Amino acid sequence: MLETTELVKRFKGTYAVQGVSLYLDKGESVGLLGPNGAGKSTTISMISSLIKPTSGDVLLYGNSVVKNPAAIRKVLGVVPQEIALYEELTAYENLKFFGRIYKLKGKELELRIQEVLDMVGLRERQKELVRTYSGGMKRRINIAAALLHEPEIVIMDEPTVGIDPQSRNHILDTVRLLNREKGTTVLYTSHYMEEVEQLCSRMYIMDHGKVIASGSKQELKRILTGEDILHLQLDGPGAGMAGELRMLDAVLQVEETENGLKLIVAKQSRILSQVVQIAERHQVEILRVHVHTPSLEDVFLHLTGRTLRD
Amino acid sequence: MIAVFLAQWQKEKRSPYAILLFIALGIMLTIVFGMGAAKKMSYAVYAGDGLEAPQAAEWVRLLNREGKFEFRLIEEERALRDVREGRAELAVKLMAEDYRIVMAADNPANREVEELVRTVYNEELQLRAAAASADDPQQYLEDVERRLRQPPLALEIEAADGGEPVRNDMSLQLLFAFTLYTVIMTVGYKVNAVMEERSSGVWDRMILSPLRKTEIYLGHMGYSFCIGMTHIAVALALFRYVFGFPIGDRYGMLLVVAAIYTIALVAVGMLLTGLTRTPEQFGIVLQIAAAAMPLLGGAYWPPGTVTNPIILAVSEFVPLTHAMEAMKGIALQQYGPAELAAPLAKLLLIAVLCMGVGINMVERRSH
Ligand SMILES: Nc1ncnc2c1ncn2[C@@H]1O[C@H](COP(=O)(O)OP(=O)(O)OP(=O)(O)O)[C@@H](O)[C@H]1O
Ligand SMILES: [Mg+2]
Repeated sequence: MLETTELVKRFKGTYAVQGVSLYLDKGESVGLLGPNGAGKSTTISMISSLIKPTSGDVLLYGNSVVKNPAAIRKVLGVVPQEIALYEELTAYENLKFFGRIYKLKGKELELRIQEVLDMVGLRERQKELVRTYSGGMKRRINIAAALLHEPEIVIMDEPTVGIDPQSRNHILDTVRLLNREKGTTVLYTSHYMEEVEQLCSRMYIMDHGKVIASGSKQELKRILTGEDILHLQLDGPGAGMAGELRMLDAVLQVEETENGLKLIVAKQSRILSQVVQIAERHQVEILRVHVHTPSLEDVFLHLTGRTLRD
Repeated sequence: MIAVFLAQWQKEKRSPYAILLFIALGIMLTIVFGMGAAKKMSYAVYAGDGLEAPQAAEWVRLLNREGKFEFRLIEEERALRDVREGRAELAVKLMAEDYRIVMAADNPANREVEELVRTVYNEELQLRAAAASADDPQQYLEDVERRLRQPPLALEIEAADGGEPVRNDMSLQLLFAFTLYTVIMTVGYKVNAVMEERSSGVWDRMILSPLRKTEIYLGHMGYSFCIGMTHIAVALALFRYVFGFPIGDRYGMLLVVAAIYTIALVAVGMLLTGLTRTPEQFGIVLQIAAAAMPLLGGAYWPPGTVTNPIILAVSEFVPLTHAMEAMKGIALQQYGPAELAAPLAKLLLIAVLCMGVGINMVERRSH
């Protein structure tokens, strides 16, 4: 239903987004992952028609959003990365305002306000000033404000940064409820791989303004299926043997860790005996070996050379 | 639009202190300085060069006859010490047929005193000279005195252009000046909500909603206007009905001027929003602009004090200048629609220009 074609955004000479193409099918929940400055928020702003792309377009059911922003605004709910509320008003008053600007009134407005408050679990505290809320509670109202008009598509820009576990669980539950029970299409942006793994059927990984990988969880992990990760716990420094390990054909990468070494090796390479021999030669004892199948974090590390939260 | 307006009002109800403070400030400044201006200034005189006490007293009587200032006869030593130590602006040394003025600084107010003393001395000395050449000097002086009391021909003072001379009442002028000044702050802080919402992201939420942009702007500007108007209306009503300032019977006309002035202020606020990047920046620029406006417009001094052509030219772009002119005209000079047309048209022109340029810049900033 929604797709972007080669979106590009340039800010005074620097490219924030350079050629992003992605799509959302009706009822899907899709993740958008990437480290700081990857261009996620800029991409979202272009999709929601807040900023005009330098080139490329956003298509809603095949129609250009750039030419006709009104069409997407009707069906879209955006949860901004920053908390966009009146801190001086209560949660209830905020929701009343955001409902009113979506032309809701009277009984219906009241009903919707109580419904979204239930969804984010803040019904009991709706009469308190937003200013006095915890960061997590503010984030939950920030989400609620985008749901009042029952949008078909909800875009959330890092809705769980810097909050307590209770609020975070509430938010994850809200997203699940929206997607699974109400059939809302969700684009969920995050730094946290595990959230996206839990919530989304598909994901895009962005870095430096580009999509560097996309697909389902399994598809992405397959990028690394040819490899295993070996954690060696040693009783002494591993620096000495690292060089020799790197000479082995089956070893793709060697990294020093806190208490040993981490190797990325080709699968089924029967490398263990060689590793043991090298360790003996350097008079280092291997206390433990752990073979690990890659996670999405590893995929990300593999693709970008950085961890997500760097 | 109503939703935007109401949200601002709800915020106001939570913390109405800022606007109340500005209204109170305007009233306090007016009472402190305006009352001061209304009080007659008092100056010290002393007898010099062996002037006899009765003669000195006679000069003091003549000086005080004008009623413009109050002159008090005191010891020479004390009078001079007061000037030297800054307790007095000036002291007048009386002599039999001449005078000297010792002043701490040369300023318009002091020059006015000197002018008066000179006139009184000139007239009196001429009169005495004429009397001396008459047959019976004592009889002559009495005649003059009597005729002055019942003049066969009333003299009227006219301004150079033949019209009535411009009367000015400093306390009323200051009343308008402080009211118009404090309302700049009130309106400015309300318009700053636009910038606050742009930086908090509430603005983007409104853009994404079915609200039209004109509704967003009108909601905000309408609100700022209402608050500004309320401020002026309350302040003027308090001055007139509670403190009894003589602002005339044309309260309604004053409100018309206030309305147009407030529109101009909202427009200037939009211009500042276009020129600055954050609510904090806006706040700083607003304070500078608000402080500069009355200074440029000469609102705190008697008319004609500011003569620098550059400042006078700049003051033409300051809404406060024209609002002052219109309000003083209404309260003191019976200005009618014809006289009010020019200042009000200038205010509207400033409003249209600032609003156009301001909104344009705000919109451009979003891309
Ligand atoms: N208005 C702007 N003007 C100039 N540069 C900008 C602007 N907005 C974003 N950028 C730049 O574009 C790049 C991408 O920013 P963006 O906010 O889209 O990243 P992000 O993936 O959302 O990061 P984060 O996880 O920190 O939110 C950054 O380098 C940022 O500095
Ligand atoms: Mg972002």
